[in-house]
This record gives sequence, C-alpha cells and structure tokens, in this order.
Amino acid sequence: MTDGTMTAASARSRVRWPTIRLDWIAAWLLGVLWILPLAYAFWAAFHPSEFVTRFEPFAPLTLDNFREAWTYAPFARYFLNTFLLVTGLLAAQFVLCTLAGFAFARFTFAGHQVAFALVLMQLMITPEVLIVENYATMAGLGLVDSIPAIALPYAASAFGIFLLRQTFKTVPRELEDAARIEGCSWLGVLWRVYVPLARPVYLAYGLVSVSHHWNNFLWPLVITNSVETRPLTVGLAIFAAPESGVNWAVLSAGTLMSVAPLLVAFLLFQRQFVQSFMQAGIK
Amino acid sequence: MKPFRSLKMAAMAAAVGLAGMTAAAAETTKLTMYYPVAVGGPLTKIVDGLVADFEAENPDIDVEAIYAGNYNDARIKALAALQSGEPAQLSVMFSIDIYDLIEQDAIVAFDDIVETDEERAWLASFYPALMENGQTLGKTWGIPFQRSTIVMYYNKDMFRAAGLDPDNPPATWDELLTASKALTDADKGQYGLMIPSTGYPYWMFGALTMQNGQVLMNGDGNETYFDKPAVVEALTFWHALGAEHKVMPEGTIEWGTLRQNFLEGKTAMMWHSTGNLTAVKKNASFDFGVAMLPAREQRGTPTGGGNFYIFKQTSEEERRAAMKLIRFMTSPERAAQWSIETGYIGISQASYDTQALKDYVVEFPPAKVARDQLEFATAELSTYQTGRVRKLLDDAIQAALTGQKTPEEALGEAQSQADRLLKPYRQGG
Repeated sequence: MTDGTMTAASARSRVRWPTIRLDWIAAWLLGVLWILPLAYAFWAAFHPSEFVTRFEPFAPLTLDNFREAWTYAPFARYFLNTFLLVTGLLAAQFVLCTLAGFAFARFTFAGHQVAFALVLMQLMITPEVLIVENYATMAGLGLVDSIPAIALPYAASAFGIFLLRQTFKTVPRELEDAARIEGCSWLGVLWRVYVPLARPVYLAYGLVSVSHHWNNFLWPLVITNSVETRPLTVGLAIFAAPESGVNWAVLSAGTLMSVAPLLVAFLLFQRQFVQSFMQAGIK
Repeated sequence: MKPFRSLKMAAMAAAVGLAGMTAAAAETTKLTMYYPVAVGGPLTKIVDGLVADFEAENPDIDVEAIYAGNYNDARIKALAALQSGEPAQLSVMFSIDIYDLIEQDAIVAFDDIVETDEERAWLASFYPALMENGQTLGKTWGIPFQRSTIVMYYNKDMFRAAGLDPDNPPATWDELLTASKALTDADKGQYGLMIPSTGYPYWMFGALTMQNGQVLMNGDGNETYFDKPAVVEALTFWHALGAEHKVMPEGTIEWGTLRQNFLEGKTAMMWHSTGNLTAVKKNASFDFGVAMLPAREQRGTPTGGGNFYIFKQTSEEERRAAMKLIRFMTSPERAAQWSIETGYIGISQASYDTQALKDYVVEFPPAKVARDQLEFATAELSTYQTGRVRKLLDDAIQAALTGQKTPEEALGEAQSQADRLLKPYRQGG
C-alpha cells in the first residue's frame, strides 16, 4: 500500500467514524437490554435475599439460595427427564419433518396441496387449545404419565415441515439428477444430497426445538404425574408462589440451575449457532 | 442401498428411544389427588408427609398426591383428566372454581356422601366464613383446606419514628388515612400504605367493599353488584389514596414484589395475604405487627385459597376413601400442623383448641389475627363464568387506579358486561 491510499483510507474512516459509533451504541444498548434480566438473575441468585432489589457492589456472596432451591424439588431427576425429552423429540422431529418436507418439496401426489395447507393450518393453532383432546388421545394410547406422551403431540412439527420443504425446494434439480444417474434411490438422494445441504437449517431448527421444549410447561404438567416423567419446568413452577409473592433470590437460583445447560451450550457453540442462523435466514 | 438402511435405522433408533422412555405408567392406585401450590416454601414435601401419615394409618388406601401447578393449572389438569376417562378422585382446587365445576357436572356435593350423624357434625365443624365459597344451591361442595385472608402488615419501627402508637394500628379508614399521611415521606421515597393492584385486584377490592358494607355478588353466583354506590365509593377511596392523598404510589402496585417493598421499608403498611406471614417473619429486619383490616361501616376481608372437591366420576368405595382422606387432612391436629408449617389459617375452632396451635399463637401472636378476623370475613368473588367476570372487575379496578376511567364509568361498564355473561344463569333469564 502506498502512502496516498493510506491517507485516503484513514480520511474516509474518519468521515464514517460517527456513524459507526452510533451503530455500536445501538448494538451495546440492545445487548445490555437483552442481558439485563440474566444479569439480574445472577445478582439475585448469588446474594442473600435482602440485596434482591438493592445494589451494593460488595454485598456478601452466597450459595445458600442454590442449596435451598435444590431441596425444593428432585431437580437431578428432572434434568434427566428434560434431557431425554428434548433429545428424543428432536430425533423424532428430524425424521418426520425430513420425510414430510421432502415429499412436499419434490413430489406431486393427489391432494398434496390440501395436505400441505392442513400442515400450515397447524401453525395457527396454539397447542394449549388442544390440551383436552391430546390428553384423551394419550389416555387412549395408554401413555399418560410418560415422556413420549409429552413429546408425541409435537413430533410432527408443522414449523419443521415447512422449514425443510422450503429449504429442499431451493436445492438445484441438477444435483438430484446427477445423483439419480449415479443410481441413487429416492431416499438415497434425500440422504446424500438434500440432508447434507440443509445442515444449517437442521441446526437452527434443532436450537429452536430444544429451547422451546426445554421451556414448555403447561402440557408436561398436565400429562405427567410422577417425578420419573416430569421435566424441569414443573419443578421450577414450585417457586412461583402466586399467593404469597415470590422469593426472588431462590427463584433466580432455581432459574439459573434450569437454564444453565442451555446457557453453557450456547456459549460453547455460539459461533456455530450464529452462522447457522445467518445461512438459514431465520432470526 | 446403504444410505437407505442407515436412515431406516435412525428412524428405528428414534422410535425405540421414545418407547424406551415410557415410564412405568399409572399403577392401579386407589386414590389420585391433585393439589396446587400457591405460597412459597417446600409445600410439596409437607403434603407428601401428610399423605404418608395417612397411608400408615390406612394401609388399605393408596393415595397418589400429585402437584398440579398453580390454581389455574390444577383446574385444567383435573378437567382434562376427567374428560379423557382417567380422572382423579379428589383434588384441591381454587375455592372460587365451584360454579365452573358444578356447571361441568364434575363434582359431587358432600351432603350426598356423608352417611352418619358424626360425619354431618364434621361437615358443620368449620368456620362458617370459610364455608361460604364452598356452598351453593343449598349444598356443600368444597371443604376448606389451604385458606387465607387479607391482613395488614405494618412496620412498628416506622410507627414509632412517626410518633404513632405501634400497638394501636389504624382501625378505621379515617385513622388509616391519618396514619398513612404521617408515615409518608416523599423525600425518602417512603409511602404510608400499599394495597397491591396486580395479580388479584378483585380480592383486595372485595375487602374494601366489604368494609363499606357491600358484598360483590350473591350466594347463587349469578348476580354481581359492581355498580352499587358503596362499591363505587370504595374504588374512589382506593384511587384517592394514590392520586389525591399521595400516601400510596399512583397507578398500580405489583402484587409479586410488594412483600419485598415492605421488607425494605418502602412502605410502612401493606395489605397482603396471610400466606405471607411465615416469609415476613423470617425476613423482616425490623419490629413488625399484623392487624385486622380497618373498618368503614364494619371490618371486612374476603377469604381466599383452596378447597377439597370430590369428583363425580368415582365409585362408592372411592368416595368413602376420599372422605377418609379429607377428614384426616382437616382433623384438628393435622389442620394445626398445616397452619403452623404453611401460614394458612386453621380451618376450624377445634384446630385452634389443639395444644400445638395454642402454643404457637402465644409464641407468635400475629398468627391469631387472621382467625379473629374470620368473624368479619365474606366469600371471595365467585360466580358462574368466574374467570371472565373476575377479569371484568380486575380491568375496571386497574382502569380506575391508573386514571383511564372514573370509578363510576369503569364499574358501570363492568357491571353491564357481567350482567350479559350471567343472564343465562338466572331463573327465567
């Protein structure tokens, strides 16, 4: 680089300097706003309850809140249940949504438009409306109070089907034709061509699904009865205490315990998450 | 072929994985009981303990007590289970759910279950104020269990600092206002009084209207009195505390954080559930007192909390067993233990006559206030379509407190909408 271009570049950057600064400020503001509840939860969880709404930088730290929260409910078992639920459900969703999305994207069969419209309609119905119906179905299957009963109503996810169908539709036909000429079966094409190309979408969808079902409360509460099947959120709800008002310190400790695995996973895989979201175009 | 196979295997693995997770599904237990948790503390453990004691005494009855979230969740869960043919036999649910449960033909009246004179005597052994929310159509449908009222918590240290007698808390609206003015210190951000207006505004309001000599609904659950002059006057008073007299923050006051505000001295007095007693006792760094709510025409508070219900879809045998369980849980000794451990009120005179509760009241006199106040208590707002009617009143209260509408306007609208909802439930209506 010559001296001339250097000065030109730095001059240009000096001109642009204030606008970049504004971007930063906006980004920082949003970032701080976003992290405040989490920061507050950390503050409340690690301090005695008299500091819950008072900020003193040198307030004594304590782990008592966690100790107390841990004794409220069998959290170890709840962690296991939630883990089994989200992984089992995600596996089932991947299989079902891939097959359905592929069918809607690449095959024309009688009534495929009606079928797809029906799937889309599912997006507009809140699952809470169906609690009684779903309960009756699970009772009919003899599955009440089991982890599959929590998962089944969500296995054929309309969002997942829609997302994968749209992604599969963008895959160039030439790739498929090439695979067909090489002798791939339809499922081979799906496995060898479509699924690898949609990897970012799977990652993004997986993230949405896991975080949603990690947080889901009402349906798991209704369909389960025992410690062996209930997920974390049910344990967390014991802290809510609507009648007496909440003990924020213990509630925060319980909340942090519950979200810790997701939080750690996010920090570890942050780069991959962000990239996959960019590629998949979902925000 | 290989990719096909591995895909199929993945599918199979997923299916097997899901199936493997099936926990040992519902064993054949005799009784299933749902219960909600509405106050802080490890309540599930206390209930488990009571149930274990019961099973030890009654080896032929097997009880599965299931925590069912808050009152709302518990109702959803119970009704969902009912309609799917895998119902519970009994449940603790919100006392004000009674009309909805009757309308859905879900519960059975205790009058139809009791057999002996001794059982009839038991049915009459509870505080009458606590029975109001459990009785309608001439029958008793709910047995009081986790019940509370509203009391006034006050900071004795602040009373002393303001030159007020800490052993003589305000007993009338006028005294309340005078004391609140003396206790308010705008510079320090300290208020005289806070009455929460989110969460359960209709409940707090029920206290104010009762004190002004007017209940909010009739005993048949098909008529509300939101636009009566005494009701409008009560809301005007509540609104004026903040807007005119400045002894309370203007606008709405958060239910969930009020206790914290009281503990930190941001308010000298608060109205709150007796369910807070244990938590305030544990965390207050100052000398505090508990008083009955003040009077205008009379003292008054609504009761609150949960009742036992027995479901209709039960066999004769199950009903007998459920009765046994409920009688065990409401026996004087258990009720005393429950009251001491949770802060709920003892539900019968007999429970306050037990040695345990007698000792506790001596050691901790505030525990007595709620009981003594029962004399002036009335039912919590409960009607047919109770959720929607309650929401109408809640919205009217908040609209008036935030100054969007005048109390007359807000309550008048709420009344005419409630009339429309309740009309089908009136005879010949």
